[in-house]
Order: sequence, then structure tokens, then C-alpha cells
Amino acid sequence: MIEILTQLGAGLANCFTPATFAMLAAGIVVGLLVGVLPGLTLVMGVILVLPFTYKMDVTASVVLLTAMYISGTYGGAFTSILFRIPGEPIHVPLLWDGYAMARRGQPAKALGWTLVAALGGGLLSAVIMVLLTQPMATFALRFSSPEYFAIVLFGLASVIALGRGSLANALISLFLGLMIGTVGVDAIYGSHRYTFGMPLLADGIEFLVVMVGAYGVGEVLLRLERGFASKPIGKVENARTELPSMKEIGALKGTFLRSTILGNIIGIVPGAGATIASFVCYGIESQYGRRKKEMGSGVPEGIVAPQAAATASVGGALVPLLALGIPGSGATAVILGAFMLHGVQPGPQVLLSSGPMVYTIFASVFLGILLMCLLGFFAIRPLVKILDFPEAVVSAFVMILCFVGALSIRNNVTDLWLMIGFGGVGYAFEKLKFPIAPLVLGAILGPLAEESFMNSMISFSNDWTVFFTRPISALVMMLTAIALVLPAINQMRARRGARA
Amino acid sequence: MEARLVRFGAAIAAATTLLAGSIGTALAQEKYPSRPVEFIVPWGPGGGADQLARLTGKLLEAELKTSFPVVNVPGATGGTGMAKLLAAPPDGYAMAVYIADSHALLAAPNARWSISDVVPVAVMIKAPSFLFVAKDSRFKTWADFEREAKANPGKLKVATLGFGSVDDFTLSYLEAKGIKVTQVPYAKPGERYVSVLGGHVDALYEQAGDVAQFLKSNQMRPIIVFGKERYPAFRDVPSSQELGYDIALPQFRSIVVRAGTPPERIKALSGALAKVAASGEYRSFLQEQFAHSDSFLDSSQGAAFVQAQLDDMKRAAPKR
Repeated sequence: MIEILTQLGAGLANCFTPATFAMLAAGIVVGLLVGVLPGLTLVMGVILVLPFTYKMDVTASVVLLTAMYISGTYGGAFTSILFRIPGEPIHVPLLWDGYAMARRGQPAKALGWTLVAALGGGLLSAVIMVLLTQPMATFALRFSSPEYFAIVLFGLASVIALGRGSLANALISLFLGLMIGTVGVDAIYGSHRYTFGMPLLADGIEFLVVMVGAYGVGEVLLRLERGFASKPIGKVENARTELPSMKEIGALKGTFLRSTILGNIIGIVPGAGATIASFVCYGIESQYGRRKKEMGSGVPEGIVAPQAAATASVGGALVPLLALGIPGSGATAVILGAFMLHGVQPGPQVLLSSGPMVYTIFASVFLGILLMCLLGFFAIRPLVKILDFPEAVVSAFVMILCFVGALSIRNNVTDLWLMIGFGGVGYAFEKLKFPIAPLVLGAILGPLAEESFMNSMISFSNDWTVFFTRPISALVMMLTAIALVLPAINQMRARRGARA
Repeated sequence: MEARLVRFGAAIAAATTLLAGSIGTALAQEKYPSRPVEFIVPWGPGGGADQLARLTGKLLEAELKTSFPVVNVPGATGGTGMAKLLAAPPDGYAMAVYIADSHALLAAPNARWSISDVVPVAVMIKAPSFLFVAKDSRFKTWADFEREAKANPGKLKVATLGFGSVDDFTLSYLEAKGIKVTQVPYAKPGERYVSVLGGHVDALYEQAGDVAQFLKSNQMRPIIVFGKERYPAFRDVPSSQELGYDIALPQFRSIVVRAGTPPERIKALSGALAKVAASGEYRSFLQEQFAHSDSFLDSSQGAAFVQAQLDDMKRAAPKR
């Protein structure tokens, strides 16, 4: 324990060398920007920055990328709350309560909750990361395809809980999303599905196109219809950063703990990352949380759960990377690339032999989270001011961001047409009272679910009972079953009650 | 106003004549390369193809005095990047990294391009593939593995890249020889490596350079190398050839241009790449990647090699 603290102290001192600190600060700022831009995901962000690290030393480059990873899980919350456009897939769940709270005239408060959630979730998961690196890494090895499938399925089931209003509409939207996810060449056997002989469709429909289109473009279309005349959020001009009081935070400690620990574990699992963590924790909160009935109407639980989980997943994902050399998420795969480019192969050996480097990276996570929240604190005020601008002007900028984001996915102009198409879908959904979130969720998680299901079947000679006989997957499957059945029973009971 | 229009028209006419005249001679006389050459990587950044491109691009720049900007166009096992290459004019100002995994697609019907669409400029890396097991695996040697695979066909699991890949071809070849294993496809490298480290599969089909971190930390060890001879770094590991298996589909990474590119330009590129491959920096890169030290093949040898690989792949490909 004392040894760990001294090592961490030395690492912290290393972080304050000008070169490393500059990289840390740069990473935090760039990560926030990447998070804010819809369509430019944090994984793409770190990929774009990777070539710049070729000339740096290994610690500085990993600190830079890790800092981007951390703040990338935070920046997207701003656009979610202020414009109802998620900057990252992570922030889709945060949008319901965040935007609702902002519309109630408390945008600064909603942003304050996000900040506290990122801070709390991030720091706690960083502590877990440092103290339990080795046991957690060993734990990660117990996960295989059946467990991945169970977790993803749980994420999908959370939709039922999220479907405010009609359950049928939520399911239709979800299955449409799942269908979009099947378009293209299937990952296992390479058969073409719904491609109509078009090379573009053979590459599949990127979930980002769906997300940016349905939320970003769809929202702008809605505002256009109203002639950009929505009522301005009340009293924005005296909006200050409003941090929740200690009493308010104390009341939510259950939410904080649940989401942080779960987010951390999901981060550790290879094959699941911040997005799944965010969805699953929102789902858990709306199933078991104290204010589950009010979720989606602008309660802080709905902001804290996904944000704490997303930031906590970073600490989790770094564990198998540093301890075993296994990337637990898209961003850590790129960080692994940065290690390899410098001839460093992370693994048990590095943990022992390159202690100073590893602890500098650990320390940079703590410092990065603090720096990010400090930056967030001062950014809230000018950001909220954006809401004072004429809606048409803001919408124009939103459109530009959507186009830039969609094009940057794979430099394909046809993706832009698809995005506009999904903008139409998002608009129609909004008009017909279909929820958009299940559509996006289906498109994101569908391919993951399919791949892990197929792999389980191949691996266990088509024995579907593996999902229930392996302990971890059985536990998650049980939670999924409860998540699916409970709302149905509740709704039936409610209907019977209404009839009586 | 009118005078200006006339002058404008005259200028255009003059420009057109100039342009038309120059195009004919330009291709023959222009010094090549006189502007940056786009270097397409049909895979994401950080991977093997990307590392190769960034290193050779840098070394080529010193040789040919022009830049080789790397463009990552991932998707469809390299198919999306190939489409980009084939859409560019065949003038030598676009080239792409072309690897065995993309080449394997040609062994199946309905491939999106054919071997005659491209011309290899050089083969840059040839790295043998291995079967790896976890450090504490009950299989001490290949003989243990082979015995159990023959005793219980289909019981042992091997993690691979996917069906239709080079990995699949090699395992199918072994299956025809009586060594039947169940192949579990993991597209994401992280999941593939966890599967063997966590004991969810019995072995992993991979090139040594991709799992160097696990080899150096003794988390994995090779039990067989697929090729004609043993690999110098693993002297104790038998080669498939000596065990009587005639299968050698190394991971290769080559650089190709579109077919129809003027031969003297291909020659210029190939010559420069030969110098790159001979440099100390490149040689140590090959070593880090656990590649063959004599990997480099020039344009004509490369074309023959790529064709021979395709024939071998077609021969080994499973008839599903």
C-alpha cells in the first residue's frame, strides 16, 4: 500500500515535467473537443492523434492518448444537454434527463451534475485501477463470447425500461435499429444481407450515421418546422455553474457507487466499452433506482448513472491493457498501438520492469480527471451562453458539425446522403411519437450481439444452454430476464387497474 | 465588358491548347514522381499494414524526394481501400498496401477486384504464421496437440481471424490431413488474445509480431510454425514442412499500384523500395515483426509470388 503510494507520488511528479504535462493538458482539451463534435467519436479522435505521437517518447504519447480517452467520455455531455444532440454514442442515455433538466431552465445544474459524475466515477475507478490491477486483469480473462453476449443483451433489454410511453413503439424502433445493424457483409460467414448489390451497403451502415442523422439532423429539421422559434431557456443570462450541494450528492451515493463499479467492470471486459457501460447503468437505474418512475423526466440520477459509468469504464479498460497487454476497448486498442510503435509491449513484465512509466500513466489518469473537471467547470458558463444565440444560427453550426462528423467516419460522401435520410427518419419518429434511442441502440449493439452470439454457438457446438450454465453469463441473463418481464407485468397490472 | 469577355475567352482557348499539347508529352517526359504519391492503407491506423506504410513512406520520401502521405481507408477486409486505389488514374500517384488477408478474398467467388487489376511493386514483409498456446497449456508440444486433435475430432478450439481468411485455409488443410479442430472466429484482436489467455480456446493462429507482447512476457508460446523451415527466434518449434504438412501461407504485405501504370514508374518505385528494404531501420523493423529477413521481392518476383500464393490459397480453401 505504502509502496503503491510512493510509486504513485513519483508518477505524479513525472506528470509535472513540462513535456508530459503539456501532453496531458493537450489531450484533455482535444478529447473534450472530440467529445463535443457529433460523429467524431473518441476512438476516431485517438486514431487521428496517433500519428502525432510517433516522434514523442512513449510515456508522453500514452499520457496524451489516455487523457483524450478520459475527456472524450465527458465532452459529449455538453451537446446532449444543451442541444439534445449526443456528441458521442455514450451520451445517448444522458440526453433524456439532461435535456429535460435543461429545458426546465436548469442547464447549468444539469452540466454540474455531469461534472460531479465524471469526477466521482473517474476518481473512484482510478483508485480501483491502481489498487486492484492484477486481480482485476485476471478477472477479465474469465469473459468470453457468452458473457459478451449476455452483457450486450442486457444493454438491449434496457430499452424496455427506457421506452417512455408506448412499449410497442419502443420495440418497433429497437428492431428497426437491429435490422439496420444487419445490413452489409456479415462478420462471420461473409454473406451479403440487404445490400441490393450496392458496394456501399456491403460495407454496412455505420451506427454513427444513424445517430448523427436521427438526433442531429432530425432535431434541426424539427426546429426548422417551428421556424426556429422555440422558447429560449429561461434566464440563461444569469446561469452560473451550479454544482450540486453535498447533501444532494449524498442522496445519490447509491447511484454513484452502482454506476461506477459496474462501469469499471464493463470497462475491464474486453469487447465492451464506455457506450455499453453507459446504457447498462442507465438501464439499471431505471429498473432498480429509488426514483425509477421519474427517470427521463429530468432527474439527476439519469445524468449521474451514464456519466459516472462512462468515465469509470476508462479506468477499467486500462487495467487489462497495462497488466496483460489486452485492449479492452476501441480506444485502448489504439493506445496499445502507441506502445507497440515505441517498442514497448505492455504486459505483466512491463508492470514490474517499467514501474515508473506505468505509475506515471496511472498518476496522469488522476490528474487528467481533475484537470478535465476544472476545465468543464469554467466551460459551462460560456457554453450555456450559446443558448442565447438565435436558434437558426446554432442550428446551422450543428448541421456543419453533423456533416463533418459523418464524412470523417470513412471519407465516404454516400454516408452524408444516408445521414440526411436518417435525419428524415428521426424527424418522422419524433412526429409519430416513436422513441429514437432504441433505434440508435439497436444499430450500435445489434452487430455486437450477433457476433458474440454466433461465436458462442460456434465455440460450444450450438449448445444454447451455455448462456445459463456459465456463472457470469447466467447472472447477467437473469438480470436481463427480470428487466424484460417486470415492466411487462407492471404495465399489465396498470392496465387492469385502469380498467377496474 | 465585352472586351473583357473576349479576352477571357482567348485566355481559355490558349490554356486549352497548351493543356492538350502538354498532356500527350507529359506522361512520357515528366519526371516521376514530381508530386506527392498517395499511400493508401486499407486498414486502420496502428495495425501492421499501417506501421509498414508509415515506415516505408518515411524512408521512400528520402529516396524519391517527394512525400508519401498515408491515407487510412479501412473496411471490407481491405476492399474499401482497394476500391479507392482502383478509382484513381493509373499514373503511379496512388499506391496501396496489399496484404495476404485481402488477397484471400480472391480465393472466393464474387471478389470485388481481380489480381489483374493491380500490379505488385514490391513485397515488403513475409512473416510466417504460428499456432500459439497459453503458457500453462496442457499441450507441451505440437505432438500433444496433434494427438488430441486426432483422438477427438472437432473438440479442440482454435481462435482465428474469421472464415474465408488465410487462417481458415491453413486449418482446412490440416482438417483434410485428419487434424480436425473447431475454428472460432474473433474479428477483434483483443478478444482473440483473451480467448487463448483465458483458456476459452486451446490455441491461437497468429503471426508472432502481433503477439510479441505476450511472447516477451511468457504468456504464450508457439507450438508449430507454418512454413518450410523453423523460425530462427524459436529454434525448438517444429515447422509444418518437417512434420509432413505442405502448407505455407505467410502473412505478406506488399505494395501495389493500379494495372496500366507506366512500367518505368513501377520500376522507379520498385528500385526505391529495394533501397528502403536494405536500410538498417527497415531490417530492424522486420526483426521486430518476426518476419523473414529476406522478405523483399521486387516487382516481377513479387507478381510471381502473389500469383503463387493465390494458387495455394485456392488449393487449401475449404469447399463449403
